[in-house]
Amino acid sequence: MAQWKGWRKVLTVLAFIGPTLIGILIFSIYPILFNTYISLTNRNKFHPNPDCSVGLTGILEPTCWAVFREHASAGIGEPYRLKEPLFGNYADLIGQFFTGPVLLALAKILACFVPLIIAGPINKRLDRQLDRAVQPRMVTLTAIVLGILLAFALNVKDAIALITGSGDFIVVNFSTILYVLICIPLFFVVGLGLALLLNVPDLPGRAFFRVILIVPWAASNVAIMIALVWKFFFQEQGTINQLLALIGLTGRSWLQEPATAWFVIVLANVWMSYPFFMVTILGALQSIPVELYEAAEVDGASWWQRLMSITLPLLRPAIIPIIVLSSITTFQMFGTVWAITGGGPSRGAGTPGATDLVMTYAYKQVFQTQAYARMGAFAIIIFIMLFAAILYSLRISRITKGAYE
Amino acid sequence: MSRQTKPTVTTVSRQQRKKEEELSQPAPQAAHPERFLGEKKSSSAARRKTKPITRVFQLVVAILATLFAVYPVWFVILASGRGSGRLLTFNLAGMFIPLEWTFENYQIMLFQEPLLTWMRNSLMVAGLTTIACLCIATSAAFAFSRMRFYGREWGLVLFLAIQSFPGVLSLVPVAQLLTAIGGYGKLWGLIMAYTSGTLIFCTMNLKGYFDTIPIDLEEAAMIDGCGPVQSFLLIALPLARPALAVTALFAFMVGWGEYVLASVLIPAPPTRLTAMVGLYKMANDINIPWGHFAAGAVMIIIPTLLVFLYLQRYLEGGLTLGGVKG
Repeated sequence: MAQWKGWRKVLTVLAFIGPTLIGILIFSIYPILFNTYISLTNRNKFHPNPDCSVGLTGILEPTCWAVFREHASAGIGEPYRLKEPLFGNYADLIGQFFTGPVLLALAKILACFVPLIIAGPINKRLDRQLDRAVQPRMVTLTAIVLGILLAFALNVKDAIALITGSGDFIVVNFSTILYVLICIPLFFVVGLGLALLLNVPDLPGRAFFRVILIVPWAASNVAIMIALVWKFFFQEQGTINQLLALIGLTGRSWLQEPATAWFVIVLANVWMSYPFFMVTILGALQSIPVELYEAAEVDGASWWQRLMSITLPLLRPAIIPIIVLSSITTFQMFGTVWAITGGGPSRGAGTPGATDLVMTYAYKQVFQTQAYARMGAFAIIIFIMLFAAILYSLRISRITKGAYE
Repeated sequence: MSRQTKPTVTTVSRQQRKKEEELSQPAPQAAHPERFLGEKKSSSAARRKTKPITRVFQLVVAILATLFAVYPVWFVILASGRGSGRLLTFNLAGMFIPLEWTFENYQIMLFQEPLLTWMRNSLMVAGLTTIACLCIATSAAFAFSRMRFYGREWGLVLFLAIQSFPGVLSLVPVAQLLTAIGGYGKLWGLIMAYTSGTLIFCTMNLKGYFDTIPIDLEEAAMIDGCGPVQSFLLIALPLARPALAVTALFAFMVGWGEYVLASVLIPAPPTRLTAMVGLYKMANDINIPWGHFAAGAVMIIIPTLLVFLYLQRYLEGGLTLGGVKG
């Protein structure tokens, strides 16, 4: 379709993509540009209003445009202006992170994972040898023990304390990454287990279970309602405590203690997200040729061996993209956490609560503290991180796709 | 896991024995290949037979999982049928089976609270978002799939980049923009925000589907004198119907279930809220019994569930067809 050229082509293409481009320009690109600009100013609750005579402000603030002047809010307070120094907000957020001791602490934590990383290639090499002197399982176990020993030797507890002491941004990012690291394996294990179960060909009521186990996925369209139900379960006077009382146990205030509040937000997220994994894995399971299992059975492989050596490796191309995808969505999790704990339990005014993730923290900062400029910088940093993650995930899914076909 | 391993291991070893016996049986099989095949089939059918203990274990897991999956929804249904001061039951059976049932909460929600108005608002927002999104995105998806123009690859990367900008953090500029054009606190402002928010997803999804439609048909049409507009409207669009349906459903679900944008862009008055925001406020209001919220939530959740479950197989198919990968 590329034979035509010149103005006609330009006009046709524009007619096709024009409306989309305009929508995206106004509601997606403009907010990003505006955020970038705001992140360089000192806009906050004391300096909320634009000064339309300043060049860029006059262009970027819609209320400064002549057409929309009538809607401009006649606010009080001084107008905001560019921050001195220009990147002051960024320095506030992550400045403390890039200092010697904190980076050293980070290096210490990463060092604890080195044995596990080394164990991977060793295991791979061992796998190729027919007469194994050492079992791969032992290598992994040794690596884990070594990692734990290293953690004690390098005093990782202090290192973590040092990092979490270096600013709210770092704390929140740390707990969000931890949340992702807890949630994703759980999604995977629950999803895989149920997919294997549904893949049993003569399971009674298989079709029924297949539909009923997807209910959470369907309900995740109205996630906020379900989150409110989870909140009700774990309230002080909620269902769980009622159940505990019935069997003679005293309940606890689940949402007021950091550990149990974490448990609740993880549980609610697992409930909502495992069907996606289950359905994807089930689809991939059905594309694995049966002959492989038959051959393995003839060779006398146990259920576990078949799972580890046939099922999981062949599921890889299907699993990796969805793991990356749901890592990104879990990182951006807002509604569920907001509805259940609201970021709490509180750890003192002005500091992020125990279950404050990146988005809930940012939301609070914007709408309760009105720290617009700081949160502008926050948004830009998160944006860069997520974009890098997405580009990386595209690369991975392209690679695995190549392996699949 | 380990509990499941054990019985299966024994099954395998038993099967193995069976297999060995089978293998140790001499020649006739080889002499009659057909019979051999038949026997093999029956042996594989026998192998499929699971040991009772494994079966029981599988069923227990399945039932527990079902309980986990359905209980939150089931609980809302139960709570919606209990009378107002009796939300908490001290009866174990009452937590799973409706021992009593009243429509009191439903009546209050339908006739005293503005639930119907909220649902109408939500339906309007979701419906118009879907229509607007499809009208705008389909042609762009077609262009990105079929036409080669300067900046096409960059456009796709740009789409991805924009999608990775966290929505919560662009709330302030969007709210400001809508304030400036007078759409703040109005349904049409929310519709505009939703439409542009789902545009990228719709475009990418539809583009993925257009990519899978062979171009030959359109080429044949162009030889016959079709322009790009005609080949889009007459050839590609009818072929893309399944993907259009899936995309429409997704856009609708976004408009129907979204909470954050709606709560910021239309905070008041009560008659203009969407269902999610209205019910959220209700659930967190100590003065309103939770049963009322439950009744409202049931009326929101159950239709969503039914529609989604009914169309679910098409959704999976459509998504893999559309190839929203990454």
